[in-house]
Formats: sequence, structure tokens, C-alpha cells
Amino acid sequence: MTQLPDGLWYKDAVIYQVHVRTFFDANGDGIGDFRGLAQKIDYLAELGVTAIWLMPFFPSPLRDDGYDIADYRTVHPSYGVLDDFKAFLEIAHARGIRVIIELVLNHTSDQHPWFQESRSSRDNARRDWYVWSDTDTRYHGTRIIFIDTELSNWAWDPVSKQYYWHRFFSHQPDLNYDNPAVREEMWSVMKFWLAMGVDGFRLDAIPYLVEREGTSCENLPETHQIMRELRARMDQEYPGRMLLAEANQWPADLGPYFGNGDEFNMAFHFPLMPRMFMGLKLEDRKPITEILQQTPVIPENCQWCLFLRNHDELTLEMVTDTERDYMYDEYAKDKSMRLNLGIRRRLAPLLDNDRRRIELMNGLLMSLPGTPIVYYGDEIGMGDNVNLGDRNGVRTPMQWSGGWNGGFSNADPEALYTPLMLNPVYGYQAVNVESQKRFDHSLLSWMKRLIRARKAAPVFGRGSMEFLYPANHRILAFVRQLDKETVLAVNNLSSSAQAVELDLRRYKGNILIEMFGKNIFPRIGDLPYLLTMGPYEFFWFRLRKI
Amino acid sequence: MAEESILSDDFLRELMNVGEVDILVGLPTYNDARTVSHVVQAVRAGLLKYFPRQRAVIINADGGSKDSTQEIVRASSISDLQNAPNLHALRTLHSISTQYSGGHAPGAALHTILAAAELLRASTCAVVSPDSVNIEPEWIDRLLRPVARDNFDLITPIYRRHKFEGLLVSNLLYPITRALYCKPIREPYPSEFSFSGRLAVQMAGLDIWQQETGRIGGETYLVVSAITGGYQTGQVFLGPKSRTDQSAPADIVKALRQTVGILFSTLESNFPSCSAQGEMKIASSPDGRPAEIDTEPIRVNRKRLHQMFVRGIVDLEPVLKTILAASTLAELQRAAALPEENFRYTDELWVRSVYEFAASYHHSIISRDHIVQALAPLYRGKAYTFLTENRETSAQEVEVCVEQLCVKFEELKPYLVELWNGKK
Amino acid sequence: MWDKFVLELTQASHGIVENIARFLPRLLVMIVIVIIGWFIAWIFKVVLRSILRLAKFDKLSQDAGAAQLLNRAALPSSSELLSRLVFWVAWIGFILIGVSVLGIVGIEEHVARFFGFLPQLFASLFILFFGLLAASFFSRAALLAAVNSDLPSPRLISWTIRTLIIVFTISMGLEELGLGEHTVVVAFGIVFGALMFGLALAFGLGGQDLARQFLQRRFGRHGKEEHEDELSPL
Repeated sequence: MTQLPDGLWYKDAVIYQVHVRTFFDANGDGIGDFRGLAQKIDYLAELGVTAIWLMPFFPSPLRDDGYDIADYRTVHPSYGVLDDFKAFLEIAHARGIRVIIELVLNHTSDQHPWFQESRSSRDNARRDWYVWSDTDTRYHGTRIIFIDTELSNWAWDPVSKQYYWHRFFSHQPDLNYDNPAVREEMWSVMKFWLAMGVDGFRLDAIPYLVEREGTSCENLPETHQIMRELRARMDQEYPGRMLLAEANQWPADLGPYFGNGDEFNMAFHFPLMPRMFMGLKLEDRKPITEILQQTPVIPENCQWCLFLRNHDELTLEMVTDTERDYMYDEYAKDKSMRLNLGIRRRLAPLLDNDRRRIELMNGLLMSLPGTPIVYYGDEIGMGDNVNLGDRNGVRTPMQWSGGWNGGFSNADPEALYTPLMLNPVYGYQAVNVESQKRFDHSLLSWMKRLIRARKAAPVFGRGSMEFLYPANHRILAFVRQLDKETVLAVNNLSSSAQAVELDLRRYKGNILIEMFGKNIFPRIGDLPYLLTMGPYEFFWFRLRKI
Repeated sequence: MAEESILSDDFLRELMNVGEVDILVGLPTYNDARTVSHVVQAVRAGLLKYFPRQRAVIINADGGSKDSTQEIVRASSISDLQNAPNLHALRTLHSISTQYSGGHAPGAALHTILAAAELLRASTCAVVSPDSVNIEPEWIDRLLRPVARDNFDLITPIYRRHKFEGLLVSNLLYPITRALYCKPIREPYPSEFSFSGRLAVQMAGLDIWQQETGRIGGETYLVVSAITGGYQTGQVFLGPKSRTDQSAPADIVKALRQTVGILFSTLESNFPSCSAQGEMKIASSPDGRPAEIDTEPIRVNRKRLHQMFVRGIVDLEPVLKTILAASTLAELQRAAALPEENFRYTDELWVRSVYEFAASYHHSIISRDHIVQALAPLYRGKAYTFLTENRETSAQEVEVCVEQLCVKFEELKPYLVELWNGKK
Repeated sequence: MWDKFVLELTQASHGIVENIARFLPRLLVMIVIVIIGWFIAWIFKVVLRSILRLAKFDKLSQDAGAAQLLNRAALPSSSELLSRLVFWVAWIGFILIGVSVLGIVGIEEHVARFFGFLPQLFASLFILFFGLLAASFFSRAALLAAVNSDLPSPRLISWTIRTLIIVFTISMGLEELGLGEHTVVVAFGIVFGALMFGLALAFGLGGQDLARQFLQRRFGRHGKEEHEDELSPL
């Protein structure tokens, strides 16, 4: 692999998203922990991922899956102690894997000592660390995010007899970023982890930091200003670290979060993901090409984060009503699979456990412009359990083997934080790492090859992107280019064999080299380049002029 | 013998790229630049609004327009985003514009559309007229839904028209089709209709398309084939229909060739096709029975109709003598001799004349085309009578009149059978 | 003198007897030929009649308008007429053959001319028949087109076309018979008629619509404003 300037490591990364609780239990209490995670670093290194994104692991009442943080400077006791984390960090770095952790800047848990102090009396020193009001009518134009559970963005505090502001659950009071002390404190939290060696932060709920009357209180310029300050301080004191924004917005609205390359390094491309699933079901490239055409150009040092599935539902906020209805009907016929505005399922069940479709989607994930994120378990095709409430169905323990508790823990099965998958299709006896390691043709082995191929071509992470529009609309074809390296990706979104004629005259004289088998394909001439594609087949070609 | 294909290689390649579709909407055009853009927009809007999930294609079969009709179709196929921002297409909506070989012929256009439907395995197809200025996106829904959802094989329209529009339909085509084929099909020569994939496949495979029958009267042939072939047929209310070009001289002979001529020729293989009166299902009616469209009077030069009728009877005597029975001709001559205000072409006489024409056509007394042409003056006389009688009546009363005529056609059917089997 | 007379007489009567003796067998042969010829001609007639009936020749000639003509002249049907004609032509042929057997001087020549004339006769009959057929068809086409386009005097147009075609046909038939080389001149004169015929063809078939519109514009009695009043036929 070519050595690239390390400062942009995130552009070449393949990120593995995992919650420490779900991965491996080293102390036998039924809950995954950092010592367990450290033990499994070899597995991740072998898979080929270059970074781990850890979901919140801070002390928390866990009323919002850890996103309600009660202490920013240590780890939740269930997952070990801070030293365990440090040890894990060291091992990961030793294996060349970077670690991205998650921070929630916008709000804390109502159990956090800051809020406890703040609410204790109106004249407490930390009173204005949060947003308090006598009425519940301020910031009237602000939408309510969790419409299913919350009636207002204001909640009454019976202790100090005032309303406090919360954009999420009422047990998650928003911090007051107009207060310099808050900003300073949050920077010192970040510094705490950066000093320890953490390589980046995924910052949750970014658009909501600052409130202003008469606005939607989202994406405000003041919010951007705060982020730019944090970024500047980070770059100065800890160069080479990364900020990743979680902002579920349309691509055009996401542009400002990159600033001039001086705000966030990365942001999730939320609208693309449902459209990939939609294009596959429609057997039509239109949804994918359309959304990528609408995606703004971002600064050179910035990058999109792409994902197929994550710990949340497959969100359908960024689609039209027609599209949402279609997605529901095609991917979540059973109403129990729907949650909020989304579908709470894993990759394999969404794709009917069809290996060809799983491969095609992963191929797209790895070849479209951006940094791919693999959600834990999807590399072996784990299933989901819709009978577990909320999003817990996609957060079941990692399935390591067909043995006791799927190799996840030595505890009694009843003691596990959540039940294992047991059904004959997706259960740990059918789907597990150990069995897939034994075969070259397993999904896990294939994923390793895919990640290797992706990493062998920096053009995927950094190259330009240009769609070809062959007349056959079931074929999604694009050319990625970086300096002298040109890669052609051709994807058949259809369930049947397709012929496609590609207009490659610009690349006349090149021969194509298929990137997995390294086989040579005919030289490009003046005529349209004819390819025949099997169902859901995809090709990556390196263009070579010899 | 290598037969020349009606589908050009380029068109075939485009079809290959479209692949399988669920819905195909055909648009036969010939110098329709003035109106076609609106129609394409309406079709696109209809497809996007009512069938967002189905794979759909619009096939424009052009007869070699000289007024850039094809360019307009192509242009309006890509500009949907600006025109209908609230309609977001889920998938690619294909549009193909092709020019069939052999010059302008409605049948060739229909054949192209049918062949495309077969190749694309479209299960639901429709044809819309490029000069339907009143077309709404809802029409697409009304036309396609019964085929797509309720397994109809052919859906013909019922239009809301001015009581004096569609005279040929109400005075001849509708009654005679109803009498001969026992289906009260209101528009046997439809300009908008929809049909199932299996009917399309069956029709595309016929060898009528190289013949005159197919070239000029494919639509009529399709309707009759659907009825006689036992296909599930139905009708839908579409909406107001008015001719775009009121000033263009109407070519009655051409219209008769395309309709009556084809109808007569279909009788050859289907006579007598039925005995009991069947029914025509109303497939759907989103807004109920069509009311009268408007009361704006249409200026009609009845005097001229009458003149042409009288002159036709006099001048065509040698021809009519070979076609009509002596008594019928004598009655017509007596009627023609009357002054205009006393002239009346009775239903009975009209039906007898038409049946005698049909039988003469069957027996090929003289050139069949001449027989159809000779019907024109008689039709003018009937139209004159119809207009005179209904000058003051309401649309409902006109319907009653038409119904009476239908009954007369049905009553006299045995007379046709007699003429058909015996010698004239 | 008497002796000489008697001698001459006997010689003459000898000659006559000889001549008769020589002539009688020929006469017999001729009679046989004529009788056989009658049979053959009759067979021709019967066969032809059934062939024509099978081919529905009557209907064709009815289309050509020949039937009406024959009717008017109180003649039998056209197939009957044609088969009778064939019968007579064949029989006359045999009679002539028989006569030629008689060895009468000059007859052979006429007989040869008769047989040489036969193909021409049939060809001209053929031309005449199809000419009549065409005349009838095109005159009717013209009549219908004229009526439906509301042209003045459709009957006159139709009659003109019919007459022109018939004249043309007859002249061609005569030409074929070789009866008058000078009819060629007439034919040239009729080139004008042919032109008209061509026009009629064009207006009747080829550019029906165009021609009709042209005619309407050209000769139509009604101005443009009245077209707007024309009814929609559909």
C-alpha cells in the first residue's frame, strides 16, 4: 500500500463500528468490555479495517443507549475501568488500528453532576450551564425530534421551578453553549481523550448546540463558529486527529459543516444509504446517481462517511413520502420492523440473506466516494431480532462461534445484556466467525478480500468520481480517478443478467484489469465497450495503459 | 423470404436497454408538434403520480413528422423536474421516440407500439392520442388501472362530448358494433385506450399489419378482435374530449374507410358473431357518469349536408343501384326529392341502407372501397336528420335517440343475416 | 365436224367425270373435316364455358360494365357469348381447312390469312375486355370522388373518363387487329385522353386527399368559411 500523508488517514480508512458491550465479554459478566475488545483486535486487524468507531462507553443511566452521558472522563463500570480502555487503545494502535470515540456535546444526562448542581438552585454557579426559562414558549419555531415520546422541547423542573431546554429526551438537558465556561469545559473533555491517544471523535447531535429566538435552532452560524474554534484548537495541539459530524441532513445542508475545511473532517452521507437499497430493489440506478449529483463538492481535506447499516434504524428521514412508502413496502412489510421514520433491520435480513446482493451492496459501499463504515456483525451476515424493543434488535452479541453463548461470554445465557440470535438461519450456530474463517468462500473471507482490494487502491478514498450513463439503467457504472490511477466500477443492480455498452472512448487504448482476480479484459477501442453482467454482479477494473 | 422488420435496429437497441417494463404508453404521432408536448407531460405526470413504482416506458411512434414532433417529445421527456416539482420519480421513466418505416400510417404506429409491448413484456399498455388537448394525468390512471389491477384486456373510453360531436360514432359505429358484436362499446374506434400484454402479444402476431386493414384501421381491428376473441373488455369515463382542430375539413370518406370499412371487413371472419346481447363492464368511474360538456353551440352547415346528400343520391344512382335493394333506393330517391324542411332519413331506412351496404361489401358486388365511399352521401343525410331532430334537445334526450337507433339496428339484424346468406 | 364435236364432248365429259372423280374424295374429306371440326369446336365451347364459370367471369364482366351492355342488347351472358365465339371461330377454322382441301385456287391464301389473324383477334378482344373493365372502375372511382368532394357535374366527369378510356381501348384493339394503321394517328390524338386518364388515376387513387383538397380549393363552389362548418365525422 502506498504511503500517503498521514494527516488525511481518515480518507483511506475502513472503519469498523462497534459497541464495546456487544463485542466480547472477557470477565464473564454477560456484558462486553474493553479487555474483551482488546483480545479481539487481531480479528479486526485480520479483517483489514483501519479504524474502530466506538459507541458511547461513558458512565450513564443508559436511558438512551449511552448517549445520555453522566461523566465525560471515565468509562462505564460494566465495560471496565479507564486503564482497560488505555490498554485497548495501545493494542489497537500497535496493530495499526485507529480509534474513534463518540462524544455528545449537545446535552448530558440529567444524572450528570453538572445538571444536578444546575438544578439545585437558581443561583447555583452552574445554573447557566444549561438553558433555563420561566416559560415554555421560547424558541417557538423549533421542531420536536422524538415526536413519538416528547410533547415539547421544554421540560418542567420541579426542583428549581423553571423549564429547561432539551432537543432530545426530557432526561437529556441541553448544555448552554452561549456560556464560555461550558465551551471551555467541553474542550478540556476533548483534550482529556486526545491526550490519551484517541484518533478522532464522532460528535453526536451537532446541529443543535446553540438556540436563537425566531430560528429553527438548527445549523445556526453560532454553532458552526463553536465547532470551528474546537477544530482549530484540536489541530493546533493534536494535529492529525479527526472530527466526524453526525448530522442527519440533506447533503446541501451538510456542506457548511465542512466549512472551508476548517470545521469537520468528515460527515455521514445519510441520504445516500436508503437510496442504495432503493436502487437495488427498483433495479434502477436513478436514486443513487440522482442523490450523488445533488451532493455538494466538499473541501479537499474533507470526506464523506458511507455506511450500509448502523446501530440505528435505517433512517428514511431523507427521502420523499413516495420513496418512504416504497421502502417500507419492500423492506419492512412487517410493521414491527419499522421504527420512527425507519427500518430497524440488519444488512443480511434486509437483503433476504442473498449473498449476491450483500456482496453487491458492500462493493458499492467500498467503491463510492467516501470512507466506508462496516457495522459489526455485518461482515459475517448476522441477523436481527425484531422482537427486542427499540433498536436493540440490531445490537445483539457478536457471534464468534457455535459454542457457549456463541463464544461471546462465559456467563449464563440469562445473564447476557441481551439474548443471542438463536434462529436456524441467523442464529450463532449457523452464522459465526469461527465457521466462516474455515472457508475461503464464506462472506467473512470475501469481505477480507474486498477490504484488501479497496485498500490497495487509494483512488477509492480520494479519487474523483464520474458517472457513466449507459443506456441500460440497471447498470450503475462510474469512473474513479486519482492522478494516474483510474478505476472503473460497473454494478448490475438487476436480478437478471444484463448486457451493457459503456462509452469509454476517453480511455481508448487502455486495457482493463479486474481487481480481484487480476485478469486482463480486452483493450478499449472506438466502439462501445460491451460487458455482460450476471445477476447483481459487480466489477472493479483498473485501467492500465500498456 | 426475409421480411422487413418494422423495428429499426436503433429502436431495438433502445428497447433492449429499457428491458422489462410493467407499463407501456404508446403515443402515435404525425405532425403533432402543436399539442404533443402537453400530452407527454400529462402522461408523465400520470405515470409518476399513479404508478410511481411500476417500470414504465413511453413509446412515441412517429410517422415521419416534418414539424419536429419527435424533438418535442424528446425534450418534454427530460424536463419533467421543472414542470412538476412535486412529482418525484422513484425510478427512471423511459421515453423512446422512433420513426417507423413506410411513411405515415396509423396502423404502422400501433403495430410498432404492440411489437414494443411484446418485446418489453409490458403487462399493461395504453395508447393516447397526441392531439388530446383535454388530457389530464388522471386519464392515465383511469385507463391503466383496470388493466393493471382488475385483469381487463381492453379498456375503451367514454368521453364527455358535446352532443353534436362524435356523430359518426353515435349514428353508425356504436349502434352497428353493438348490434353485430353484442357489446355496447361506446367508442369502437378509440383514440385513447388501454390493453393487456396478452392482447398486445396476440395482436402483434397477426398478419394484418402489412395489409390495408392493419395500416389504416388497426384500432378498430384491435377492438373487434378483443370482443370476438373472448377477452375481458371494459370502459372507463375519461373526461371531456374535443377535437383540437375544429377548422380542419373533416374527411368523411377517410373516416369511413378507417372505421366502417374495417368493421365490414372484420365481419368476414366473424359473422354472425353472437346472438345474445352482452354487456360492457364499466371498469371504474371516479367521477360518475359524464355530464354534458358544455352548451356552446357548434355551428353546423346543415344546408350543405342536405345538398350533398341529395346530389349524392342523384349522381350515384348507377352505383347505389348495385348496392342497395331497389325498394331502399326508391325510398331514398323519394326522400331526396322532398324539400329540405320535409326531408327526414328515418332510422329504419338508415339501418336497412347500412345493412345492405354491409352485405354488398361481403358479396363484393363492386370494388369494396367504392362501396365504403358510396356510403358517405347517405351518412351525410343521416347526420343532417340527426342534427335537425336534436337541435333543441338536451344531451340526455340525444342519448335516448341514440339508444333507439341501437335498438333498430338490433331489430333489423335478421335482415342482414338474410342478405348475408342469400343473394342480393 | 360432228365427230370432232362428239370427241370434244366425250373428252369434256371425260374431263368432267375425271374432275368429279378427282373432286369427290376431297369433298368427302372436307365434309369429314367440317363434321369433326364441329365436334372439336363444341368441345372447346363446353370446356371454355365451364372454365369461365369456375373463374366467375360473369362477375368480372359485370364489374366491367359489359354485362349491362349485353343485357341491353338482349344478348346472353358474357361467358356464354365468349364460348360461342370460340366455337364459331374454331368451326369456321375447320371449315376453312376443309375448303382448302378442295384445292380451289386462291382459297389457301385466305385460309392462311384467317389463321394468321386469329391471335390478333383474341388479343384485341382481350384488350377490349380489360379496357371496359378499367373504364368502368375508374369512371366509378371518379364519380365517387367527385360526389364526395362536391365537385360540379360528377356524372359528366365520370362519363368523360369512361368514354376516353373506351375510345382509347377500341383504338388500341383496332390497332392490334391491324385493321387501320391510321388509327395510330387517332391514338396519338387520344394521348390527350390518356393524359386525362392519368389525371383521373392520380386524382382517384394516388393523391386522393391532395387532389381532392386541390380540387375543392380550385373548383369547389364553397368558400373557406364554410369548411369551418363542416362536421366532425368522428
